[in-house]
Parts: sequence; C-alpha cells; structure tokens
Amino acid sequence: MKVVPSRSSEWVKPVTPQKPASAIIEIDQVSQVFQTSSRKDHLALSDISLTIEERAFVSILGPSGCGKSTLLYIVGGFVSPTSGAAKMKEKAITGPGPDRGPVFQEFALFPWKTVLGNVMYGPRQQGVRAAEAEAQSRALIEMVGLKGYENFYPKELSGGMKQRVALARTLAYHPEVLLMDEPFGALDAHTRTRLQNDLLNIWERDRKTVLFVTHSVDEAVFLSDKVVMMSKSPGRIRQVIDIDLPRPRRRSELLLDARYQKYVVDIERMFDESDEAGSPS
Amino acid sequence: MMSPAALARRTAPVFACIGLLAIWQIASLALKNDSFPTAIEAIRAIPDILGDKEALINILASLRRMAIGFGVAVLFSIPLGLLMGRSRAVAAFFNPLLMIIYPVPKAALMPIIMLWLGVGDITKTLVIFLGVSLPVIYHSFEGAKAVEEKMLWSGAAMGLSPLQRLVRIVLPAALPEILTGCRTGLVLALITMITSEMIARQSGAGNILFNALDMGQYDTVFAMIVIVGAMGICLDAAFERIRARLVRWSEPQFDLPLSFS
Ligand SMILES: Nc1ncnc2c1ncn2[C@@H]1O[C@H](COP(=O)(O)OP(=O)(O)O)[C@@H](O)[C@H]1O
Ligand SMILES: [Mg+2]
Repeated sequence: MKVVPSRSSEWVKPVTPQKPASAIIEIDQVSQVFQTSSRKDHLALSDISLTIEERAFVSILGPSGCGKSTLLYIVGGFVSPTSGAAKMKEKAITGPGPDRGPVFQEFALFPWKTVLGNVMYGPRQQGVRAAEAEAQSRALIEMVGLKGYENFYPKELSGGMKQRVALARTLAYHPEVLLMDEPFGALDAHTRTRLQNDLLNIWERDRKTVLFVTHSVDEAVFLSDKVVMMSKSPGRIRQVIDIDLPRPRRRSELLLDARYQKYVVDIERMFDESDEAGSPS
Repeated sequence: MMSPAALARRTAPVFACIGLLAIWQIASLALKNDSFPTAIEAIRAIPDILGDKEALINILASLRRMAIGFGVAVLFSIPLGLLMGRSRAVAAFFNPLLMIIYPVPKAALMPIIMLWLGVGDITKTLVIFLGVSLPVIYHSFEGAKAVEEKMLWSGAAMGLSPLQRLVRIVLPAALPEILTGCRTGLVLALITMITSEMIARQSGAGNILFNALDMGQYDTVFAMIVIVGAMGICLDAAFERIRARLVRWSEPQFDLPLSFS
C-alpha cells in the first residue's frame, strides 16, 4: 500500500499537455462564448485542455455556473465550441454519436415508452434484432436493480428509479464513454448514496471511460480516478488531482479512511481559498 | 360497486341534460311564443327527421364532409405545426400567414371560395379544413416547442437522424398537446360544417335546419339543434376515449370526458 503524501503539492499536479498513450478523449484549447442579453459575450469556458485516458473515471468538479455542463456537451457533440476542438480517438467530434452516451440530471426518458421500451430503444436503433435487444435490455434492467418494473411507464417511477432507467438505457447501446451530468443531483441524499454505490459496482465490473460532472466533493473523490477542479468566471481548469485510493471501493470503509478524508478536506480548502480571492459564490 | 363519489361523477352529465331540458320546457311554457317550441315538442320531432330518408342522406353528407375536412386538416397541420415548433425559420415564415388567417371567421371566406369552387362539397370541405387547421397547428407547434432538448440529444446520441427525431421523438412527446388541439378542431369542424351549410344551402344538416327556419317549422329547427348538439357530445366523447388511450403514459391530468373545450 502506498504511503499518503503529507503535503498536498506532492499529489496535486498541474495540467500536463503531453498526452498519454491510452488517451481516448482530448480536449484542446476549448473556449466557449455565449451571447447573452445582459452581458454581451459571456466567456463560459476559457482555454480548456484536458486528456482523458481510456477506462478512467474522471470527475469534473466545480461551482455552479463554471461551465461543467457546457464542457460535457462539447464532448458529447451537442454543442460545438467557439474555438478549440475536442477529439475522440484522434477523430474530431462534430456531433453526437453512439460512442458517447449521455446521462442527464433531468433523466430525459421517453415518457411514452415503458422501462423496457426505453432501454431497448438504442439497441433497436443500432439494428439489433428485437428478441436479442429485449434479452439484453432485461438483463440490464436487472443489473440496475429494476427487475419487475419492465412494463412501468416513467411517470410511475421515483426519481432514483428514473435515473437507473436512464443509465440502463445508455449502457444498452454500449457507448465507449459515459457522459454523466450531475446524474444524482436531483435525488435525495439516501437515494443518491445508493446510486453512487451501484454505479461504482457496475463500473468496476466493465470499466468504461466515464466523464462525470458533479459539484459534490465527496461524490467526486468517492467515485473517481481523477478529479478535474474548475473555477468560474471564466470557466477554467484549476487543478487535476489523481485520486489514489484502492478499488473496489466500499463507502463504509472509505469514510473511515484517512486518505479519503484528506482528499476531501484538501479539495474543499482549495475551493474556499478561491472563494475568498474571487467573488462570492 | 361504485363509490358514491364515482356514481355522482358518472351521472352528473345526465342530470345536467335533464335539468337543461326542464328549464327549456318551463321557459317555453312561460313565454308562449310560436317560435319557441317546448322541449317535448322538439324531441317528438326527432324521430320524424331521423326516419326520413332524405334527411338522413343530408346528415350523412354533412358528416362525410366534416370527416374529410377534419382528416385532411389533421394530416396537414400536425407536420406543419411540429416543423414550426422545431425550426425558427419555418415558424418565422408561417407565423405571419397564420396571424392573418386566425382572426377571420372561416365562414366569412365562403362567398369568395364559392366564386372559385362553386357551392358544392369542395367549398364546404375546404372551409371545414380551414377551421380545423389553426388550433391543430397551434397546439402541435406549442407541443413541439416544449419537447425537452435533452430528450432529443439522447435520441441523437443513439444515432437518430433529424427527421427520425421529429417523427419518433417530437411527435410522440407532443402527442398529448396535439390531441388537445385535435379535440378543439373536432368541435370547430362541427360548427363550420353547420355554418357552411347555412351559407351554401344545398344539402346537409344545416340545410335542413335553415330551411325549416324559413318555413316556420320551429319544432324541426329545435329538433335539429338537439341532433347537432347530440352529435357534438358523441363525437367529443368518442374522441376523448381514443385520446385517453393514446396518452395513457402521460402525466395524469384532471379531465372531463364530456367537456366542451
Ligand atoms: N445556451 C446558453 N446561452 C447562454 N449562456 C449559457 C448557455 N449555456 C450556459 N450558459 C452560461 O454559461 C455558464 C456555464 O454554464 P454551465 O455549463 O451550465 O455551468 P455548470 O454546469 O457548471 O453549472 C453559465 O454562466 C451559464 O449561464
Ligand atoms: Mg450543469
């Protein structure tokens, strides 16, 4: 087991421009300007460069309004950046595609489809035969803990269940990268904890690349291999922190782990410092 | 077994109809006016009308025009409204046109259309089409505009093309709103059907009604009003059953099966 470094500067590394061999997503000097009615030309993202390695769980952490969602939408191809470029496996991202599967805070399920219909939608669109798509989807629904709810409509489900369906729906078409935008942000604390545990279990099984947006320090440290800290106005990357905690992670063990606690405290302290320096959030 | 509340809700429309007929009967007896027959006189005239082959042919011709006008309007208006709701350019192009047509009573266009197309079925069907189109376009537009962007993004990530997204996401997502427009359109179809036949007398339920009025057969006039009203209630109730079935999945709402929206 590694010894915990005593000084934060030892494990807090600045963004390194060189790209590792296993990079799957590269964000290169991306800036995003929005035209708003009050302030003309609002700089939402300023010169963001970031490399995401294959099979890594990377969280983007920062205060509300710092451009986390915008960055995720750019990787998803839903928004094209004002300048700079994002690449997936060396190919420029020009639009959405099934290699990058989004999970939104708003769930965005198809309300006219049952749970099964929602989960089968992607595979059917990709041309998987109905019987096969159904079998796979049923297995996924069971995996996210919703066995027995296959024929329910979204309106009949709780928020936590809806987000489970949304996760299964995205996993069903086998994206190489999962893009999750505060997926548990709309849920109560208890449900949120359960979903974090379940997501981690699922992820530790097949280790897809995950880009996970959150404003919760605990959540980011608990889940991630790497935490990208952002600051706001303009949205910038402050620091990229490797979370060197063993896996599989158990929440009950981690909460007692001094290293986990130190990561959380240090990150919170860094945000506090920037709050004092900058405008109140 | 029905609960008392459910029983009251089910029977309320029946009591409302009986109450209305009772007020009519009393008012008519009190006014003693030749042009205002009692409810009983009017209802007694209904079997005569429905038993008359000529009258039945007229009424069926009306219903046929209404069905065609309504059907074509729905098939035309839903795609247009959805496109307007998803594309600023399309909306910017059609909005002024619709704003011009909107306040004009569709029946007021009849004399002009009659000059071009005569007094036959085409003119009347076209007027019904115009009457139905606007609410259906408007509601389809509003429904399409309100579709959650993330839902469309989810579809795009699965590989749906823009056209597929319009047909397979925007259309079903907007369906509750579209059907609200269709329901309004159905009632408007009935209204324009009667007014068109009032202006271009030739055949139809409206023709029977206004001919009877000219000849002073007031029991027939009121009987026709009851028949047309009953047709409206039946069509609306039938449509509501279909609507409720199609949007069973949508968030529950308080709805009345016999409302006159
Ligand atoms: N479509 C848009 N038009 C104008 N401004 C936008 C738009 N989207 C986001 N913004 C602005 O950009 C900034 C970053 O937004 P967002 O990416 O949603 O932040 P976060 O997800 O971190 O809360 C905010 O100030 C927001 O108001
Ligand atoms: Mg956000």
